[in-house]
Amino acid sequence: MKNDWEPKIVAFLCHWCSYAGADLAGISRIQYPPNIRVIRVPCSGAVNPLYILKALREGADGVLVSGCHPGDCHYLSGNYFARRKFFVLHELLQWLGIEKDRVQFSWVSASEGQKFSQVVEETVEKVKKLGPAQKLVKEFTFYV
Amino acid sequence: MFEREIRRRAKELLEAKAVDLVIGYTSGSLPFQARPILVSSPEDTEQLVWNHFCSPNLARYLLPYRESSKKIALLAKGCDTRAVVILLREEQFPRERIHIIGLPCSGIISKRKLEEKLGEIKEEDFSWEENSFLCQGKKWEIDSFLEDTCARCRYPNPPLWDDLIGEKREPRESSVDYLEKISSQAEEERWQFFTQELSRCIRCYACRNACPLCYCKECFAESDVPRWISGVPTLSDNLFFHLGRSMHLAGRCVECGACERACPEEIKIGLLPLKVEEIIKNNFSFEAGLSLEEEAPLLTYKENDPGEFIK
Repeated sequence: MKNDWEPKIVAFLCHWCSYAGADLAGISRIQYPPNIRVIRVPCSGAVNPLYILKALREGADGVLVSGCHPGDCHYLSGNYFARRKFFVLHELLQWLGIEKDRVQFSWVSASEGQKFSQVVEETVEKVKKLGPAQKLVKEFTFYV
Repeated sequence: MFEREIRRRAKELLEAKAVDLVIGYTSGSLPFQARPILVSSPEDTEQLVWNHFCSPNLARYLLPYRESSKKIALLAKGCDTRAVVILLREEQFPRERIHIIGLPCSGIISKRKLEEKLGEIKEEDFSWEENSFLCQGKKWEIDSFLEDTCARCRYPNPPLWDDLIGEKREPRESSVDYLEKISSQAEEERWQFFTQELSRCIRCYACRNACPLCYCKECFAESDVPRWISGVPTLSDNLFFHLGRSMHLAGRCVECGACERACPEEIKIGLLPLKVEEIIKNNFSFEAGLSLEEEAPLLTYKENDPGEFIK
């Protein structure tokens, strides 16, 4: 059973770059592991740190957040704000002892289908190494 | 310790109708305690006290007056003033409505630590000085009795004030930092520590309610749409709540320790926001509540911010 385990990874992709990058990977028939579940967001800056925690809590083994390269944000500076926010969250999780590698960040532009597939491959590989998530996952209770 | 001066100044302000209300401390119903008091008539200023047990962060008590037009004077220690600075910075109050009576602070003493070291204690056995006290015929330095956040305090003086009562102080040199102690542990040990501590959390939200900067009308912890966490205090919910709260306080926490002192389970809940402040200080060179001009660290950015963690 354990050998069959495949990680579930939630990917928050920004509408203007990474989502289009994923689309390009698709139409160019570039292969990448099927472990990611894509959620399209307007901007990486719109990704609330709580989304990441919530994904981990609800059973995702990893989270990938991807946006436009610095300087290329459709909203000019959303990804710069995102970078600060995620930096703090990343360091905090690490300090607390929640594996930092479960939460991955990347910049992928609309023309980088190849890079997108690489990013997904690397993310899946890292999360596979860590095994199923255990630390933030919600417990089974009889309460609602 | 300056009590007379505080009363005199509060009375003056109320008599001159310069303010409608003075928020200060008065003796608690139990010894070694002080509680907040709202004084609106000059006669009542006699009830004001100022001692080593004035622990509540009074900036919290400003918040109900956000919508009113009252002018409020506030007794404020270093950390209280920093919280007021953030409230002003976040445009919760116009500056004209707040009169800050700044009090350089030598630290709040923990009743629990007194009891641990001295056994059963009675109020009449103590005579208090600014940095020491006499008890059982012996002189004690207050340093080892301070609350954990006070022992590491770097800003005993208010960064902003209208009146300053007492003399400015230097931060303690031999400071004991409980955050450093936890940080020096191995990662796995720290995780053990936090899971043990946080599984005791009953999520009464006393920490949030004591915090001067947790003033959202609807807290994410209690929101139904979206429902971030359940009401059941399981470990994962508790972790989520405290991580979320720390992220909401990022670049805003003034390290006053009000959350810890409010905790009925005595969980060192301040460690998480304190760690966030440390990360922000080390990487974005920002400390909360010191200036009215500086932009909050997560509401601004630099092109050369650390980005190695992003692929």
